[in-house]
Amino acid sequence: MPENTSNQKSTRRSFLDLVLGASSVACLGSILYPVIRYLKPLPRAGGVGPTRLTPEELAKLEKEHFVIVPVSGKRVLILQNAAQEILAVDAKCTHEGCTVQYLPGESVIWCACHNARFDLDGRVLSGPPPRPLPKYAAERQEDGGILIVAERRQSE
Amino acid sequence: MSDSGHGQGWLGWLDRRYQITPLIEFLRHKEVPKGPHSMVWYYLGGMTMFFFLVQVVTGVLLLMYYQPGEATAYESIRYLTTKVPFGWLMRSVHCWSAHLMIISLVTHMFSTMMLKAYRPPRELTWVTGYILFALTLGFGFSGYLLPWNKLAFFATSVGTDLVKSVPLIGNWLLQVLRGGPDVTANTLYRFFALHVVILPLAFVSLIGVHLLFVQRQGMAPPLGAKVAPRGMRFFPSFALRDLLLWLVCFMVLLVLAVFVPYGPGIPGMDWELGQKADPLAPAFPGIKPEWYFLWEYQLLKEFPPHLFGLEGPQLCLLVVSLLLGIWAIIPWLDRQAQREQPSPGFSDFGWGAILFLTFLTLKAWDIGAMEPATSGSSLKVISRTCAWWTIGAGAVIIGIRWLLHRHRWFVFTGAALLHVVLHGWLGLPYLVAGVIAAVLAAVGIAMIFLRTAERRVNPGGSR
Repeated sequence: MPENTSNQKSTRRSFLDLVLGASSVACLGSILYPVIRYLKPLPRAGGVGPTRLTPEELAKLEKEHFVIVPVSGKRVLILQNAAQEILAVDAKCTHEGCTVQYLPGESVIWCACHNARFDLDGRVLSGPPPRPLPKYAAERQEDGGILIVAERRQSE
Repeated sequence: MSDSGHGQGWLGWLDRRYQITPLIEFLRHKEVPKGPHSMVWYYLGGMTMFFFLVQVVTGVLLLMYYQPGEATAYESIRYLTTKVPFGWLMRSVHCWSAHLMIISLVTHMFSTMMLKAYRPPRELTWVTGYILFALTLGFGFSGYLLPWNKLAFFATSVGTDLVKSVPLIGNWLLQVLRGGPDVTANTLYRFFALHVVILPLAFVSLIGVHLLFVQRQGMAPPLGAKVAPRGMRFFPSFALRDLLLWLVCFMVLLVLAVFVPYGPGIPGMDWELGQKADPLAPAFPGIKPEWYFLWEYQLLKEFPPHLFGLEGPQLCLLVVSLLLGIWAIIPWLDRQAQREQPSPGFSDFGWGAILFLTFLTLKAWDIGAMEPATSGSSLKVISRTCAWWTIGAGAVIIGIRWLLHRHRWFVFTGAALLHVVLHGWLGLPYLVAGVIAAVLAAVGIAMIFLRTAERRVNPGGSR
């Protein structure tokens, strides 16, 4: 009999412990959920899809042979090679995410952070990047040479 | 030591390196005075600290979206409350916790005062608490400007303008506070730095000192009992009670924050953020500071432009500084409490101050106003209505003290009520009524002093 009583007591105690623990967890969860939702950044606002270069960006392209523009929330490098062709690659280096630049003299794309070199199609020539830079479609249009940069295209 | 039960496990590991056993022993033997006296008042400091912790957490969260600056401050708050998930909740909790922190802090201070817990050896605990109170008001004042809306802009203009009445350095101080002669984006940057860096640093260090004092000396036992007859163990008995109260406070806070939320994008609450501040727009009626500054705001209105060769605001600042100064050094003024004797005069000073502040606050709220609220007849009605409410509150306070606490010392409460009667009912100007009441109070106190002195010289003589 006394064994039974002590058994019952421990059951009640463990039940209360369970209730207390569960409500503590629920309480904590109801505090943490809004905080986590609050901290999660909202998707970036801004246009998605083809983008036209502004006159300022065009002028910069003419002057420096390359320009970096935002396209659908990404940085894209537009460059004009020696043959006056327009090329576009993702400006985010595939190594550690620095922004690359076009070196017109050497005709390569270069990342200054860890001395990575890419050819103008985005393929790795030297340095640590594990993957080529994704390519974008860019073309010169009829109306005064303004460019449209289209959605990402699978790079070869 | 036989009690070094921390030989194994991580406690033992720590103890061998940092000798934490004395600390654990201290915490284990820490006690809170227990007895026939009410223990309710021992919880208010912890409650205030809880609300402060909520302020720190929500404040840091708000910082992740808030952008100070003329073109961004208002917009970022708007974005935060309308777009960010639960942004409205974070801001609402921050605002409500600020109000509740002020309420619990003021209650903490008044209870300390009524129980004479400031008496030796706890004078410095009172002084540090007093500075914490001043810093809290600073938090409230600086935080009010950060949304950069019209209301905050003008309230800050008025509030900071009072600084110029400080003798000698007033104008310099005003410029330093505002970052220029007027409230501009520079003021916003300064208030931002004050609100999120300077005040928190000062506050946290001072809380450390305040808590250290409380830990070293323990809670104040009731007046007259140097050593409490019994004690309640702090761990776990008192700490668990503290925790339970914090939980209740948190629930109250969340209910307020969820059901009475702040900010635009919430139906019926668009007024709260209001319009963006425009330094070139004229002020509009209804410019008011937070409720805990309303008494000061009203007092400024009651002073005439010039009096006794001083400007109205200067005299107002003088009166307020005098009252706040007395409050700061009360542990040294209260000689009776120093001898562990009841000091009804100081209790009465506290209650008188509450009535004084109540009347001003009610008046600032335009209780009983008629349309238009600023007309002369409406102001009279406001004064009379607020006088009724204050006298009602005063009657309740005096009644409770008379019946329950057997107090017979009512000079300050009496003077505060006389002031209200003369001004609200008989229509005397506020200051004239105040001077009459103050003079009568001084006469009353002088008579009490003379009578006590007489009794001391000639004990049992005129019985």
